[in-house]
Amino acid sequence: MTGTQGLVWLMRRETLRVYKLWTQTVLAPVIASILFMVVFGVSLGDRIREIDGYEYGVFIVPGLIAMAMVQAAYSNNSSSVFQARSDRYINDVLSAPMRPWQVNLGLNIGGIVRALLIGLALLVLAVPLTGVPVEQPLVLLVAVLLGLVLFGALGTIVGIYAETFDHHTFINNVLILPLVFVGGVFYSVDMLDSPWQELSHVNPLFYLVNAVRYGFLGTSDVSVALSLGVTAALAVPTYLWSQYLFSTGKKLKA
Amino acid sequence: MVPALEVRSLTKHYDDGTVALSDFNLSVPDGAFFGLLGPNGAGKTTLISAVCNLIRVTAGEVLVFGQPADTLEARRSVGLAEQDINLDRFLTVEETLVYHGGYFGMSRAESSQRAGEMIDVFDLRAKAKVRTPRLSGGMRRRLLLARALMHRPRLVILDEPTAGVDFELRQELWRYIRRLHEQGTTILLTTHYLEEAEALCEEIALIQGGRLIARDTSEGLRDRYGATSLEGVYVKAMAGAEPTGATR
Repeated sequence: MTGTQGLVWLMRRETLRVYKLWTQTVLAPVIASILFMVVFGVSLGDRIREIDGYEYGVFIVPGLIAMAMVQAAYSNNSSSVFQARSDRYINDVLSAPMRPWQVNLGLNIGGIVRALLIGLALLVLAVPLTGVPVEQPLVLLVAVLLGLVLFGALGTIVGIYAETFDHHTFINNVLILPLVFVGGVFYSVDMLDSPWQELSHVNPLFYLVNAVRYGFLGTSDVSVALSLGVTAALAVPTYLWSQYLFSTGKKLKA
Repeated sequence: MVPALEVRSLTKHYDDGTVALSDFNLSVPDGAFFGLLGPNGAGKTTLISAVCNLIRVTAGEVLVFGQPADTLEARRSVGLAEQDINLDRFLTVEETLVYHGGYFGMSRAESSQRAGEMIDVFDLRAKAKVRTPRLSGGMRRRLLLARALMHRPRLVILDEPTAGVDFELRQELWRYIRRLHEQGTTILLTTHYLEEAEALCEEIALIQGGRLIARDTSEGLRDRYGATSLEGVYVKAMAGAEPTGATR
């Protein structure tokens, strides 16, 4: 009686939701990202000089993949948890013989699986389309996992706190999307003048984008150790915050 | 014999200041068919939520078959059919049952087999592959009950299981619940249908304002309140009349 079986089934349930809604959860973000690659890469590629030795169309691929993945991890978990709370079927999980860490992990997995499916699909399409290399696969793997833990857990937290469905789209639209866009997805911060270059360094998403870019291209605006360190320093407390909510029942139980 | 449910000095204050339960004590024997009656806001659902680990209790202790209610062993022993329909909108009827079994520690084979049994018992075979939002109200209610029984709990808590259910289905559910009780399952039932409580329950507790005000058999309550029916008992008790005997 350890709750392991329950954890496995909860993970299955969260991934089943992703598979059942695959046109919304996987196909739509893949198409959107591929359109970004084609439109920006093709239309601007000839007008922008190489960045860090790579054509512009190649340079933007890592950031676009990172952006699609973190948004998917966040959106999946925030909407899944919010819906479960709103319709109160989360009670079926909260009353089950599972430990709080198992419930937290189980509910976080859906976003991570969805993001990985999107990332893999984009990788498979982007390599022949743009010729983007994968120079540092281990760094890429660590960066992606840290990013997904960070944004998956953030989604779970927002799903727990949200009072209406608009709250989770609000966080995505006013926080995540702008920070990713100004985090160097479409440009190198070296191209920016002061103070924008310095300001970019206080954007936590800048480090995630650069860690992923280093994994793909072997080059980034800051050291890879710093990029991974900052991302980990955000991912760990965010996941622990989510864990705290399940351990105490705060916002989940009256 | 260890009681199926033991509630000791349970107090629950909600964040808005509402005192739902105050120093509440209750013991439900193993194998009993126990009714919990009271008006809306009396604390019935709060009590059930405390037993099922769905609220944070302010003070007190809840034991299920001698185990603290928040332990995995205790949670494995309890099946809950909530008052509100709370079915996972992404799952089919069959998946709802199979996944519930999984959450409660059943293997895939065991859970699938048990789900098949429950689907037949509750006459849901034709809708087994249908997603829950497409079910009728009566079918959703049946599925809720089937889900509560999936993992073969020793204590089944039914919070208004027949609310909004037509006469035929209510009779059908009663028959099934009776059969379950005859097999040794402890049943804790809340209902607003007093005749339902009178017909089914061996013992009844009346609660009001978060306090237990009387507890006895239906006959015992009628005697103590000098009433000819449970309805008469209920009206007198809720109006503040004192029973002539001591609460058991």
